[in-house]
Amino acid sequence: MPSMPVGLSRDLPPKRVMRASVGGQDIVVWRASNGDIAAWDNRCPHRGMALSHGFVRGNALACLYHGWHYEQSGRCSYIPAHPDLDPPATIHTTRFGVTERDGVIWVDTTDTAKPGMLTEPLDPLRSLIAEVSEAAVEAACHSTPFEGEMPQPSGSGLYALGTIRLALLTNPLGPNRTQVTVLTSPGLSLQTRLALSRWCETLRRNAEATGTGGA
Amino acid sequence: MSHFTLYTYVLSASCYKVRLMAALLGVPYDSVAVNFYPGFEHRSEAMLALNPWGTLPILRAGDLVLTETQAMLGWLATNHDPTGRWYPAADPALGPQVLQWLGLAARLTGSAGLARLHAILDWPVDGEAVRKAALKDLQELELLLTDRVLAGQTWLVGDHPTIADIACFPHAALSPDAGLEHDGFPAIRNWLYAVRSLPGFVTMPGIHELHELREREPADPQ
Amino acid sequence: MSLHYASNDWYPVADAACLARGPRKTRLLGTDLEVLGPFDHPVVTDMGGRCFPVQVRYNHLWTTIGDDPRPLFDIPEADEPGRRHVPCGVVRVKCSPLRAVENFLDIAHFPFVHTGILGAEPHTEVAAYKAEIREDVDEVWATNISFYQPQAAKSAAGGITTRYEYRVPAPTAAVLYKTCPPRPEAMDVIAIFVQPRSETDCDVWPWMALYDDTTNFADLAQFQQEIFLQDRSILENQRPVKLPLDPKLEIPTRADMTSIAYRRWLKRRGAYYGALTDQT
Repeated sequence: MPSMPVGLSRDLPPKRVMRASVGGQDIVVWRASNGDIAAWDNRCPHRGMALSHGFVRGNALACLYHGWHYEQSGRCSYIPAHPDLDPPATIHTTRFGVTERDGVIWVDTTDTAKPGMLTEPLDPLRSLIAEVSEAAVEAACHSTPFEGEMPQPSGSGLYALGTIRLALLTNPLGPNRTQVTVLTSPGLSLQTRLALSRWCETLRRNAEATGTGGA
Repeated sequence: MSHFTLYTYVLSASCYKVRLMAALLGVPYDSVAVNFYPGFEHRSEAMLALNPWGTLPILRAGDLVLTETQAMLGWLATNHDPTGRWYPAADPALGPQVLQWLGLAARLTGSAGLARLHAILDWPVDGEAVRKAALKDLQELELLLTDRVLAGQTWLVGDHPTIADIACFPHAALSPDAGLEHDGFPAIRNWLYAVRSLPGFVTMPGIHELHELREREPADPQ
Repeated sequence: MSLHYASNDWYPVADAACLARGPRKTRLLGTDLEVLGPFDHPVVTDMGGRCFPVQVRYNHLWTTIGDDPRPLFDIPEADEPGRRHVPCGVVRVKCSPLRAVENFLDIAHFPFVHTGILGAEPHTEVAAYKAEIREDVDEVWATNISFYQPQAAKSAAGGITTRYEYRVPAPTAAVLYKTCPPRPEAMDVIAIFVQPRSETDCDVWPWMALYDDTTNFADLAQFQQEIFLQDRSILENQRPVKLPLDPKLEIPTRADMTSIAYRRWLKRRGAYYGALTDQT
């Protein structure tokens, strides 16, 4: 499984937690107070609760169910029901590779995460989920005009929309569910970025209307 | 001193809007629990005499009886927010935007609200249809909130939370009760977090307290 | 095999309030059922018209779809004079029926899930208590539990240290005895009766028998509904969905003695419906 884009760095400030998915693996991605990011199996080893519902205290992620704390190494550091207990080192989460580049969070469930290399500097725009296959998203991108012009593909997920450059990074979440992370040329006006955000919405709608098994 | 009486049901997201707004403004009130479920007491003769529409919540302040949730938020802000920021009604730019959001909030009640009632109480509606409608409404909310994020803003209208945020918050926050997760909605997620961080915030079942905020307090004696 | 074992227990499928609104279409152990009132003369059938036995106990209508049903468990406190019986309606949860029961037996989650009501930081410590399988009655019991609670019941005026006892009389039912704030010498009874729709989907019927003559019914029922809906978002987010009976799959501590006993008891009974076992 290669590294996959799971969202934008902007959308995960310090002390926040989110849920992601790569290759069918349910993942919790969270950022400590010190800014460091981590990606784990989205499951507290104690009672199987999704850690993505948890909360960050300092540089530890705590499970919402019983408040068990896990430090960034994944090791359990505190069990509130037994405040004086030093939890055994055997209690730990399953960690995955995670890294950030160009404002995008990349996760690898089998290896150290390697960010997809962009051939030019781009700015993050937004991340969304379409209820269709990855192929349907790509097909819709070829046929969804922006201000009257069809996007021109220029290889590896890059498109030209007139003078604007745009990258469409996809992460298949299932046969009919795809996460799409969109980046654009840097330095665009707010007005253009709002228009591009709406173009993303039209793209999703078109993909869902024509894609196989769309919502 | 109590300023009004609220007829309320603990699992109702609409009742929660009024409880939340009152808490944020620090307005004390009396509450009367109505057995909405399993008793359907809101449809009893006594309750219909107070509110012929047969809905909850109901706000009573002296001779005034309000039965529309969004109106209650407006009443609370107009009468109990001396800063005028929670409902900038007279502002020609912001006032109409707030009203627009109050309308969208009512739309969410009809989609996400019904989807939730169907999921938890087996409400007799077409579950698939209301869930689909709720997903579409959440996608629109995400789009409009992304506009705000790109503009460097946190709240739905202006640079201060308004009754628009409180009107839309509960059904968006509770959508996972109906299986509509927030995974694909980063702008909604961060906006919900901002609302939950407001001083005086209160919870309802399905929206838990932000335990991370306790870190601001001195360390607990163990 | 697990379905065969489960089919010989009794399960709640209706209460008086829901039958007053009309027939209830429902599901039990994967079988679609229709429940027809009135509550005191009910009829339960499957879609082919086959009738199943019924009995009314603890304000609920119970049925069984097995050929050789075990008797419905007894809650002797239900017959004690002076107790108010409070059926709290039904809540649907997408979880294993066994996870719903196990959560009900857990106190360590109170400060984080029922914050400000049944628990609050920094009062998170779970003191040692006793959990056992009582061989004479073949039930799980947990006793000598105490926990600080900011608002233990609707009738509680402030924080108190509450005493708890738990009893599991059937795989999908649990009874809690807890300090009754207005009558310190007595114990309130709070139960959950779980109707397994499938191994991963259930309807839960909370029920109480309290010494409280002053609080109105709506307040009492809503107190319990508030608690249970706080648990619901936990229950729908546990993985695997089915309850693992292999001790290696989840890590318990001393605070989980009741859960350990419950899982062991399920295993030795072969009560695998809703459980993750080697067989499933």
